[in-house]
Amino acid sequence: MNNKILIAFSLIILSGSVIAQDIHMPDLKGYKKYNNYPVFLPANLWDFINGAADTYLSYGFVDLHVVEYKKGKDVIKLEIYKHTDNTMAFGIYSTERSPSFRFLNLGSQGYITDGAINFFKGNYYVKIRTYSKNANTLKSTESLSVKVANMLSGGSEMPSALSMFPESGKKINEETYINESVLGHKFLNQAFKATYEAGTDIFSVFIMQKNSSEEARKSVGDYLTSAGAEPVDSEIGRYMLKDGYNGTIFLAWKDNRIVIISGLSKDQSDVADSYTTEILK
Amino acid sequence: MININRRGFLKTGIAGAAGIVALSPSIVSAATTDQHSDIISRTLGKTGMKIPVISFGVMRADNPNLCKAAYEKGIKLFDTANGYQNGNNEIMLGNLLKDYPRSSFYLATKVKPAGVDKEGKPTDQTTAEDFLAKFNTSLSRLKMDYVDILYIHDIRNPEMLAYKPIINAVKNLKKEGKVKFIGFSTHANEPLVIDAAAAMDTWDVILTSYNFKQTYINELNSAIKKANQAGIGIVAMKTMAGGGFLDKEKTKPINSAAALKWVLSNPDITTTIPGMTDFDQLDLNIKILSDISITEQEKKDLFIASAEKGLYCTGCTICLNACTMNLPVPDLMRAYMYAYGYSNPSMAYSLLSELGTNDNPCKECSSCKVECTKKFDIKEKIADISRLVNVPADFLT
Repeated sequence: MNNKILIAFSLIILSGSVIAQDIHMPDLKGYKKYNNYPVFLPANLWDFINGAADTYLSYGFVDLHVVEYKKGKDVIKLEIYKHTDNTMAFGIYSTERSPSFRFLNLGSQGYITDGAINFFKGNYYVKIRTYSKNANTLKSTESLSVKVANMLSGGSEMPSALSMFPESGKKINEETYINESVLGHKFLNQAFKATYEAGTDIFSVFIMQKNSSEEARKSVGDYLTSAGAEPVDSEIGRYMLKDGYNGTIFLAWKDNRIVIISGLSKDQSDVADSYTTEILK
Repeated sequence: MININRRGFLKTGIAGAAGIVALSPSIVSAATTDQHSDIISRTLGKTGMKIPVISFGVMRADNPNLCKAAYEKGIKLFDTANGYQNGNNEIMLGNLLKDYPRSSFYLATKVKPAGVDKEGKPTDQTTAEDFLAKFNTSLSRLKMDYVDILYIHDIRNPEMLAYKPIINAVKNLKKEGKVKFIGFSTHANEPLVIDAAAAMDTWDVILTSYNFKQTYINELNSAIKKANQAGIGIVAMKTMAGGGFLDKEKTKPINSAAALKWVLSNPDITTTIPGMTDFDQLDLNIKILSDISITEQEKKDLFIASAEKGLYCTGCTICLNACTMNLPVPDLMRAYMYAYGYSNPSMAYSLLSELGTNDNPCKECSSCKVECTKKFDIKEKIADISRLVNVPADFLT
């Protein structure tokens, strides 16, 4: 057997990846299905969604299957984006989510807005869209979304890391996952973010769960260094620092978990303290 | 100084090494004119807008402080779109820019007409009503009375340039003052589309893909020249050739400064809109604002990068007509990419099974007629990947 394939085979065993299968798009009663699009890959996603592609690529985009369902002049377009894992699928989903949408119990979570139904499940982010205002077409869009959600593999839970965020003051459906350059810093990555409201204050809480305490200390050290402080070789710590770009930052860590709070003023350390304590307990 | 066990936060009072102390918008606007005298600016065609050679493609930015820092360092044009982050991008930008003097920055957004088919032609769903509704939503998200440039997003067929419902709608927006200048973005068939636009008096600005890896750069340069002579301003995008790296594993970064300087070496290009997500990228691009001269090393880096084929088939499908065995060449190239690009032979196996190709589909063909636009050795790659079908599926799980 080809040596390159043997090497690739070894890699897959080591990484524990699962078998991926091409997607068989479901039928939709009364509609003709048209597979006129190629399967889009990282190299040509730009051809389909233009500048938005970069965001998808930054969330581990693997491939995109597109199919159109047509009935007379009405068209329903189904797009199934596959990402490397569930966190990435949530990440891209959450960048396009707005708390003002009507949320649905679909896949892990979905919403409906102005002829579009978007949801994520497992490693998939699904977008279904029609420009028709016909009530029957809109109903068909909903039934298609249920079919697709049932068809796709993967669990229907939200990422477990979201449960680390304290509930008090948390703005609903505003959690996101940032894969690269948290707060615009290249050395900070892979953070879940939630937005909080306390009185007139709105602030953001970022949680990073690193693979090890060493990795967490490295990230903390990089941040402290960028703020002009000495890095600290400790498995636990709390700092208030002046980030030249992002203002006052509260930084705390314990073992492999890091908490960053942005948007609070320097005299609100008690607020930051209560949140970081709860997250790191 | 440090007692890490005590409750409460320790303070570091030093501003970031690479940082700047945040200023209020009013202080900044007063300061910018004097601070940025070395910035190279060019005039955007007949619009008369004088724009620094580096602008900000906001599409991926989720941190308003990054845009704020860009503004403070002299970037004036911010480029977003109705569809970026499903509107969250415009909301973020609107919340930031509402506090700055409107005359101190330029704002461009893009709206994609609905229902445009795969060939880029309008359909029954391509209506002015839908387009205007989207634009008004954008304006509301941006918290602006007007945008400086409204692009019709993604024109790839000259037929769309003359599609009255949309063209009349954008012209009306210009008359109403909701749009200062009108343009379109183009990511495919750019030479053809730009050439056609140059002969019309509709367009003020064109946003086009433009990078050192484009195989049709001579045709594109000719079209851009023609448009420029007609007074149409040209803004360049996709300047990193579709990403900052030459490979999926991100082991071969493109020299981004070199790529941007290469674009700006064409005087017909007014500005570029690189996407930025971190302060390091911003600082790198800010340096180019005052120095666009390309070094010998940068030239070498671009030469090496331009020769890199990569693993990805772009799905242009030109090969489909050339293959005498009628093989699904793009799909086979995808299988190859799954195996070697993603290190996932089971994914490749699954695809090959679906395609139903055998272990040597080129066997009956003595010489390959396929000329790949990416210069792939198609026959060699097909022979390589097709052998995977002989591997028992269980062995790949």
